[in-house]
Amino acid sequence: MVIKTENLTKTYGRSRGIRDVGLSVEEGEVFGFLGPNGAGKTTTIRVLLDFLHPTSGRAEVFGLDTVKDSVRIRANVGNLPGEFALEDRLTGEQLLRFFARLRGVKDLGYAYELAERLGADLSRPMRRLSRGNKQKIGLVQAMFHRPPLLILDEPTGGLDPLVQEEFLKIVRELRGEGRTVFFSSHVLSEVERVCDRVGIIRDGELVDVEPTDALINKSFRHVRLVFDEPVDPRPFRALEGVRSFRAEGPELSFTLYGDLDRMVKLAARHTLVNMEYERPSLEEIFLTYYGGSGRNNDG
Amino acid sequence: MDEPVYKKPSGTLAALVWHEVRMRVRGGIIWGGLLGLYSAMIVASYAAVEEQIPQFEQLLEAYPQAILEAFGITSLATPEAYMGGQFFNWLAPLALSFFPILALAGAIAGAEERGTLDVLLGNPIPRWQLVVGGFLAVAISLLGVLAIVGVLTWVPAALLGVELSAGRTIEAVLSLWPACMFFGGMALLCSAAFHRRALAVAVPGVLLFGMYLMNVISGLVEELESIKYLSVLYYYGAPIENGIDWAHFAGVAAAAVALMALAIPVFRRRDIYT
Repeated sequence: MVIKTENLTKTYGRSRGIRDVGLSVEEGEVFGFLGPNGAGKTTTIRVLLDFLHPTSGRAEVFGLDTVKDSVRIRANVGNLPGEFALEDRLTGEQLLRFFARLRGVKDLGYAYELAERLGADLSRPMRRLSRGNKQKIGLVQAMFHRPPLLILDEPTGGLDPLVQEEFLKIVRELRGEGRTVFFSSHVLSEVERVCDRVGIIRDGELVDVEPTDALINKSFRHVRLVFDEPVDPRPFRALEGVRSFRAEGPELSFTLYGDLDRMVKLAARHTLVNMEYERPSLEEIFLTYYGGSGRNNDG
Repeated sequence: MDEPVYKKPSGTLAALVWHEVRMRVRGGIIWGGLLGLYSAMIVASYAAVEEQIPQFEQLLEAYPQAILEAFGITSLATPEAYMGGQFFNWLAPLALSFFPILALAGAIAGAEERGTLDVLLGNPIPRWQLVVGGFLAVAISLLGVLAIVGVLTWVPAALLGVELSAGRTIEAVLSLWPACMFFGGMALLCSAAFHRRALAVAVPGVLLFGMYLMNVISGLVEELESIKYLSVLYYYGAPIENGIDWAHFAGVAAAAVALMALAIPVFRRRDIYT
């Protein structure tokens, strides 16, 4: 286990913080940590890096206590903070050389390779770089020392789509090398593309952890049935788990949270001309978690 | 994939100090240059009025004692006394203390406000090294600033034929080091404790002026004479006239180091905000 937290709680000031967060991240996986702004993603990361001390509970990284062994942990972690600044007067290269000295890294070859792939300009002072270019330097400094664990907080913020694409490719390569990536984001589409598992945090509480596929597959489906003639909609409407039901002539459309088999058997009593059965986007699943009562609306 | 390495990296403190010193070179040159030029102007003014010094001495006797105490003026008879009254005994410690105050207030609280602390502490640096490294870097940079002030004081004196003792000039600038670092240490402690740089500047700034006033008042009001012992500026004294009191030098330096040491557990215990 690379990351493990038990009943991790952090309350501070007027902010909500996190409450009883218990998560496990396995070696070699890309773990997506999803939640809207203020949900507790950054707080969790900051506790893992010992920037914040937990109010209660505990957290371990590589089996080491995040408070007692913070330096040893950070020696093996590449970190991209969600909001950060770099020394204005220094160039990317000067910064990387400084960080390399702090980490005992002699060869900056991989840093140059990453910079080239992401299009990061290492020759200009930070004050002359746009937000996106600073973000690229931030990504390079997180990855250049080839850490076994990467903790990335909103890593694609400010990057243009082509660079985002290249970055996600790098993340997949890192997974291929057996490295672990803790990927905090509120951009669901990118999480869906690279993450093996997803943890969803809301109002400071971890509400679910699922393999990304399972999270998508277990949830509701958008169904559209077109028959050769109008059918009695009432049996369909009465099916368990049917919501947002609409009937227009021979066409029925609804959201199905329940058993697929019953719906198919009911439809088979009629002559079916067309059937669409769409999985929801991760965005929709996400909204389901964050809407209404806030409880998992699945099934 | 590389296996996690569980040993702490070495040499991080030296790398941190070297980095911080480099970051302060430009600021140090500006501080040293401006104060040094001011000091050079005072030297030049002495050269210009040297022959009228006896008349100035008579004029000085008519000055209120409060004014003389406030500016640390004891006499104008020698170049050292003149430089003390015009610069070294009051303006130099008051102004130059703000170099370590500003630098060390920025070392933690300032870096936290700017957002640079998160990236820096993402590296395997223990928090105590950030405190000690910042202190050492500013202490070294301050020596550089003092060297510039010393050179810009003594060289014009030599060029203008003012008989200013080189030894006393060195003692005068060196004496500024523990006094300024004391207020820098206070700024570092506040920077470690609070999340706001403005507080880490304000607290030692107010303390500095408070101690200056205590030192002045103690010389004016007999009943309050003993409060001078509470002021670091009393221990700084008038080194360009009297030389360095090494006991006072060591005591103030120890107090500065103690403030830095106190900042370590304070910073270790507190959270770092974005």
